[in-house]
Amino acid sequence: MALASLRDVRFTYAYSDRPALDGITLEIESGMVHGIVGLNASGKTTLCSLIRGIVPHFHKGELEGSVEILGRDLLEWDPAELSRTIGCVFDNPFTQISGIRETVFEEIALGLENLGTPRAEMIERVERVVEQLGIEALVRKNPNGLSGGQRQKVAFASIIAMDADVIVIDEPTSQLDPDATDAVFGIIADLKAQGKSIVLVEHKIDLLAEYADRLTVLRAGRIVTTGAARDVLTSDELIAAEVPVPEVTELSRRLDAIGRPFVRTPITSAEAAAAVSARIQEASNAH
Amino acid sequence: MSTATLAEVAETYRHPESLGNFLRDRNPITLLVALVSLAVVAAAVPGLITPFAVCAVFVLLAFAGGVGPAYTATYLKLWAVVGFILFLLRALLLDGEHVYFTFGNLQVTAEGVYEGLRFAAVVMAICGAVTLFFALVTMRRLMLALEMRGVSPRASYVLLASFQSMTDLGATAKVVLDAQKARGIETEGGLITRAKAFFPVLAPVFLSAMTATEERAIALDARAFNSPAAHSHLVQLPRTATWEWLAAGLFAAVATACVMGRFLGWL
Amino acid sequence: MASNGYFARLLRGYGRLTIFMIPIGIAINFVGGQIALLLKLPVYLDSIGTILVGATCGSLPGALVGLLSNAINSITSPQTFAYGILSVIFGLLAGWFGRMGWFRSFWLSLLSAIPFALVGGVLGALITIWVFGGLAGDGTGIVIGTLVALGMDLTTANFAAQMPMDILDKVPTVLIVYAIIRGIPKRLFVKLPLGYVYLGKPAPKLAPATAPATTEQQAGPRS
Ligand SMILES: Nc1ncnc2c1ncn2[C@@H]1O[C@H](COP(=O)(O)OP(=O)(O)OP(=O)(O)O)[C@@H](O)[C@H]1O
Ligand SMILES: [Mg+2]
Repeated sequence: MALASLRDVRFTYAYSDRPALDGITLEIESGMVHGIVGLNASGKTTLCSLIRGIVPHFHKGELEGSVEILGRDLLEWDPAELSRTIGCVFDNPFTQISGIRETVFEEIALGLENLGTPRAEMIERVERVVEQLGIEALVRKNPNGLSGGQRQKVAFASIIAMDADVIVIDEPTSQLDPDATDAVFGIIADLKAQGKSIVLVEHKIDLLAEYADRLTVLRAGRIVTTGAARDVLTSDELIAAEVPVPEVTELSRRLDAIGRPFVRTPITSAEAAAAVSARIQEASNAH
Repeated sequence: MSTATLAEVAETYRHPESLGNFLRDRNPITLLVALVSLAVVAAAVPGLITPFAVCAVFVLLAFAGGVGPAYTATYLKLWAVVGFILFLLRALLLDGEHVYFTFGNLQVTAEGVYEGLRFAAVVMAICGAVTLFFALVTMRRLMLALEMRGVSPRASYVLLASFQSMTDLGATAKVVLDAQKARGIETEGGLITRAKAFFPVLAPVFLSAMTATEERAIALDARAFNSPAAHSHLVQLPRTATWEWLAAGLFAAVATACVMGRFLGWL
Repeated sequence: MASNGYFARLLRGYGRLTIFMIPIGIAINFVGGQIALLLKLPVYLDSIGTILVGATCGSLPGALVGLLSNAINSITSPQTFAYGILSVIFGLLAGWFGRMGWFRSFWLSLLSAIPFALVGGVLGALITIWVFGGLAGDGTGIVIGTLVALGMDLTTANFAAQMPMDILDKVPTVLIVYAIIRGIPKRLFVKLPLGYVYLGKPAPKLAPATAPATTEQQAGPRS
């Protein structure tokens, strides 16, 4: 069953003169990593909010078209159930710390407490995500005194601990250093391996190229292109949407331009390495 | 502290959280009942001895609870700024038969001094109960105890978040105030100048705190804050023994008896 | 169920943002007071949050902010608890004035300082007289003591000391509340119980306790 199925969706925030999403028809399959890219204010967060029901339940506005989440009409979902089914990590690390817990360990456990998880299981799950994210050094710290990056990790861990089937992640790495970013993406890959569905907004296109199965490119509230990550990344629409292409893809384009294309446009550095070494092989064979 | 491994930290949550002190490990609710009862006794029983004795008991309890020096300092300060003035104003201004001495309009009488001492001691007994309670019990433990007795986690949220917001907002306001100073906006000097600094510092800080509630609401909703399920608790308080409830009941009974005695004229 | 108590129902019925506004209101009360001290202003400015939440979220949330601020204050200076009723009334009044649209207009906001100061001054003085026999142990208490020593009678001295103090305090308080309300974006007003007033809309048809239907839905089935 599709995670989300949107048909001709247009959403205009209350008191806004322009729709934030317009003419959106999109199928998001389950069990995949679905990346969303686009410039600022292109509607990425609004799309995530829609899948999570925050729009139109919390942020009011005018919703047209049809939205189905896991086969059920969005408006028929009980909002509490929807929020339990779809975990959500947001981009602002400062508003995601509850402010009512005194250690990071307790902060991560908060969602599980609210779900009524038994204590033994709660402790185990918190331990597991702490290890996954490598934040052992933080567990005793007060979450209200952490840096933006540390908070972002704690916020991510807090949602992962709740073990929802679908996880919507809005720019999880905006404040993270490269190592922490890798850790977050490692977990995203793990989650996918566990059969979870992930919707991911991310500006770091190289990472999306590596981890996303499908990509949707937004521009000014409309879909520019959507499809398998490879097709989207190698398409011309990506450039038209002013979204940066992965460096290796850019390289391949340049080679294309001078008439020496790779057999298959690489989108990740591993693929590029393979393509380049094949070319070197070719060249040495020719001699 | 930083040497504690994750497993060790996790282990601490498997057991009731003990503070290593008999008094502070008691259930916050029974402790509150006992302290309030003492204050009620101080107010109900006439004479000077009872209220002063209750005040002394609070200091002793503070030492038993391992917060003696800090509490004594706070309590003495409270006596100095509130208790002493309450006493002095009455001693100086109340009329009476037995005049000790007069100067100007003021007349110090035996009645005034007695009333002053009595009133100050009763008010200080009430203040002492409140301050001692919060010296022995953290807000977090109190709310946890209340949640265990059926208080809504939302009520708990409101109180705990208030304290955190006070810290956060206070810090932001001071940063903005310093930034204003750095930009050459006067925050010292005449009254009007200082008053004028108040608006540009606070209005934007307060406004952004208000608008941030939107994101906070969404983020907490993602943490199942609105989940209808019965909540569970990571931190556990030590089990409250039956004797503890009985003792609290006894304190309350004595206090009630004192109040009734006062109104029925036994005391 | 525990989370279905009166308090929970009140907050849920009042819209989902209200419960998050209350801690902010409390914090605003404290920080306002702190900064006033820091700038050595001769006023308290410690009821900005109460009036702000009352004016935007309604009487009960405003009263709650007042009550809780007072209770928290009482942890360190317990004698202030006697004046808790004042803060509650400020919150209730602010909700009432808010509903009538007073805080949409500069002049009406300014005018609202008079009822607030009257309550603060008269009721404050009465509490001092009833609870502390006219002699509370704070700054005003010393002023009152001096006035009495100069020959004024105790009751008059209480009113004479309280009223000017409260006018001086409430004028800047309501002005800053007005300034903040002017700055609140429409998208936030949409989510506040009294937001309709500032958006120039008619009152929601249902009583506020049940009005935000989608809010009720969002909170989940709990009845
Ligand atoms: N709650 C809201 N109320 C009104 N308008 C909003 C709201 N949230 C977003 N908008 C508007 O909707 C449009 C799309 O915003 P959105 O946040 O979805 O973009 P985004 O792609 O996530 O941008 P960014 O990269 O900056 O996060 C913007 O014009 C924005 O101003
Ligand atoms: Mg966004």
